[in-house]
This record gives sequence, C-alpha cells and structure tokens, in this order.
Amino acid sequence: MTTTNRKALLISPELCIGCRGCQTACKAWNQLPGTKTVNRGTVENPPDLTPQLYNRIRYVEMPSETSVRWLFVNQRCMHCGDAGCMKICPAPGALYRTKEGAVAFDKDKCIGCKLCVEGCPFDVPRYDEKGKIAKCHLCFDRIAYGLLPACAKTCPTGAIRYGERDALVEMAKKAGYQKVYGEMDLEGLGAIYAFRDAPKIYGYAEKPGIPESVVFWHKVLKPLSYIGLGGVVAASLIHYVAFGPKKDEEVKKDE
Amino acid sequence: MSNNAMVRKASSFEIVNHWALAVSFFVLAVSGYAFLFHLEGVGSVFGGFNQMRAVHNWAGVVFAVSLFLTIFHYLPVSLHFTSDDAAWFGKAGGYFSKRAAVPPQDELNAGQKLYYLVVLAAGVVISASGIVIWLRPWAKSGILLSHLLHNISFDLMVIAIPAHIYLATLANPGTFRIMVYGTVPLSWAKKRHAKWVQRMGF
Ligand code: SF4
Ligand code: SF4
Repeated sequence: MTTTNRKALLISPELCIGCRGCQTACKAWNQLPGTKTVNRGTVENPPDLTPQLYNRIRYVEMPSETSVRWLFVNQRCMHCGDAGCMKICPAPGALYRTKEGAVAFDKDKCIGCKLCVEGCPFDVPRYDEKGKIAKCHLCFDRIAYGLLPACAKTCPTGAIRYGERDALVEMAKKAGYQKVYGEMDLEGLGAIYAFRDAPKIYGYAEKPGIPESVVFWHKVLKPLSYIGLGGVVAASLIHYVAFGPKKDEEVKKDE
Repeated sequence: MSNNAMVRKASSFEIVNHWALAVSFFVLAVSGYAFLFHLEGVGSVFGGFNQMRAVHNWAGVVFAVSLFLTIFHYLPVSLHFTSDDAAWFGKAGGYFSKRAAVPPQDELNAGQKLYYLVVLAAGVVISASGIVIWLRPWAKSGILLSHLLHNISFDLMVIAIPAHIYLATLANPGTFRIMVYGTVPLSWAKKRHAKWVQRMGF
C-alpha cells in the first residue's frame, strides 16, 4: 500500500477498563441497532462481531496463581496495508482504500458474494440481512470532517487512540512496548496493538497472513487467465499463417 | 451413397445444446474476467456488478445443465481410446505437416476426445465450486477451496475452449457447418471420421 500520511488506531489493552464505550459510540454513530444478548457468565457481550457490531471488547480471563488477570482487547477491522478482503473482492469499489489508508466499503457496490469473509486473516467482515458487507470503516465519514473516529473519541482512558500511524508507533515504543503488533505485518496494519504478552494470549495470530490459496490465486491463476487466453489466440494465428488450414484436396490424394 | 451426399453428424438437439454451451460460456467468461480484473466497462454492459453476478450465476446453471446433457452423446466415444488415437497424437493430428496422413478416426478424433474429457472435468469442477460459492451450503467451509478450484478450471477453459473454436473453424474449413446444419458431405466425413462412416454404414 502506498499512502504517505497514513493514519491508524493504537489500541492499548493495558489502558482499557472494559467500559465498552467504544462499542456503544460506534453503534450510535453508525445507527446500528442494539441486539438482545444473553448472560453467558461473563461481562463480555456480545460474544463476537456482528453485522450490527463493528467493534467490541474481547474479555480474556487469565487465571493466575493468586487471582484472575483480565485483558480487554478491542476487536475490529485492522485496516491491513495488504488487505485480503480487498484482494479477493470481485466488485470494484465495494471495498476501497480511503486516503487515510483505511479500508472502507460501499454497500451499493457490494454484490454480496461474501468472499471477503474468506480472504480476511482476522475473521472480521460480517454481512447484513441483505448479504452485504458490514465492518469497521474507521469512521471515514467523520474523519472527512476532521472528527475523530467515534470509538477513539469516546474512549475515556486513551486505550484507543487515532492519529498519524508513525507517531503512534513511536508513542507505543516510548511507552515501553518493544514490539507493536501490526507494525510490519501485512504491509502494516491500520489498527496497531500495544501487547504486553504474546499476541495469541489476546486472540491474535503471531504472524497473520492472507490465506495461501488467495495469494496463489492472485499471483498465479489471475495472470494465467489472460496469458493463457492470449497465448492460445497467438498460437492459433501463428499456426494459421505457418501451416494453414487442413486442405481436403491434399488428403484426397491418399484415397 | 455418393460422395456428394450429406450425412448427419449432429442432431438438432445437439446443435441447440452446443449453442447453449457456447453462449453461456461466452457470458460466463466475459463476466468472469470482469470480476477478476474489475472491468467496470463490462460491468455496465450487464447493468452493474450486482446484476452481472445474477447473470453469471444463472448462465452457470445453463452451462452446467447443457454440459450434463452432452454426456450421453460424447462421453462413451471419448472414453473409447484406441491405438489409432495414440497414433493420431503421435502425428499431432497432422496439424504440423502439410501432408496430413493420420490414422482413421471415429466419430470424434483423438484430440476431440481429449478435449471433451478436459472440458467435462473442468466443467464439473467449475459448476460444483460455483454452486458452493453461490449458495454456501456449509457456511464457511469449502469456500476457499471452491474459489481456488473455480479459478483453476476457469484458466483451463479459457485455454482449451478458444483452441477448440480455432480448430473447429479456421483450422478445419467445413467443420463449423456441423453446428449450423448438423450435416457434412460424405466425402468430408470419410476423410476425417473414416471409422465412424464405416460403423454407420453410410
Ligand atoms: S482486517 Fe480483514 S476486513 Fe479489515 S482490512 Fe484486513 S482483511 Fe480487510
Ligand atoms: S461481499 Fe461485497 S465486499 Fe465482500 S467480497 Fe463480495 S462484493 Fe466484495
């Protein structure tokens, strides 16, 4: 991805108090209805992203010897620099890159094929009742007017910060995080995480990657489709010029 | 029968079915390329990508059904591989020499048999994987595999089918009329499908 001046979200689970203001603010801005939930014996709710829930707090309860350690992780679209969803999407403009480097969507252009669900390394895209994509779009419609994304605006502790990507990476490093999750992966994520422990504890893959079959399709099968067709057409022309059509008269002599 | 007499190579059902295959393949391939490479101009010919998706899916149904109907006619002869067929391949069907003396062929020549089997296999795979991508019968599983197989068979088809079109038109004058009239001159049939002519007793 080539965007100078790329923006990002820096998410710091250590600062999160699990208030879920981000979930609510996102719903309010995007006019997404609340959904009825059930008590599953945890304060984490809902249990997963839905078409009406673009971001949420994942509660990780880690029993330790003396007590329980709680990790609150904001889960959402990562706005990947190399985005699997965009790669696999067959409809131009359904998923697009904003000038801040985020991956936004246009439901009118989405054809509802749901392939983005498969191309995403983070299991993010959901689809609504019409089969159209639904996910975090980094509040492109707020950013355009100089506003903060709703989640970052609401977060009372600074656990979700929006800003220049480079500056946020530096900020996290200054705060003592040697590794910032997503700094380099997939050409850099647009949601970077200050993880104290191994990513998998927070529910993220150590090395996230676009599914191999999608990469193979993109690098080999796609070009082969036009090289193959062009090759056959060219070979036919050459054959026609060099050998010409089968002539019945010539065969006749053998009769 | 005189050599100028016409003999029937394809029934009217086969002709119609072949056109259904040809037209649906054309629509599928053009829209397929448009999906692959985001060809917005092609999309607008179909009235937008949403509509193109519907046309692609239903053209796929037409293609799958007509392909299925070919089985009864072409599969048995295509599976019947003889030493004449091996020899035909040995001479590359006579396509690379000015003096074509290839072994006598049945209703389909060896190349046509191979072509049919390739297109049938690719057609079954592309239809089945297309249905999985379209209807998602098992929620998330099998979609990526289907996406991969759909594209592999697409590549095979956009190579095999144009070659078939060239061989059935420019490369072999007199062949294309089979798809229009269904008949060929007996003399033509004797040269290209001697074993078939013998078997049929024309
Ligand atoms: S996290 Fe998934 S949906 Fe978001 S940009 Fe990356 S691939 Fe696309
Ligand atoms: S569901 Fe929509 S956004 Fe997702 S891949 Fe298909 S067309 Fe693109």
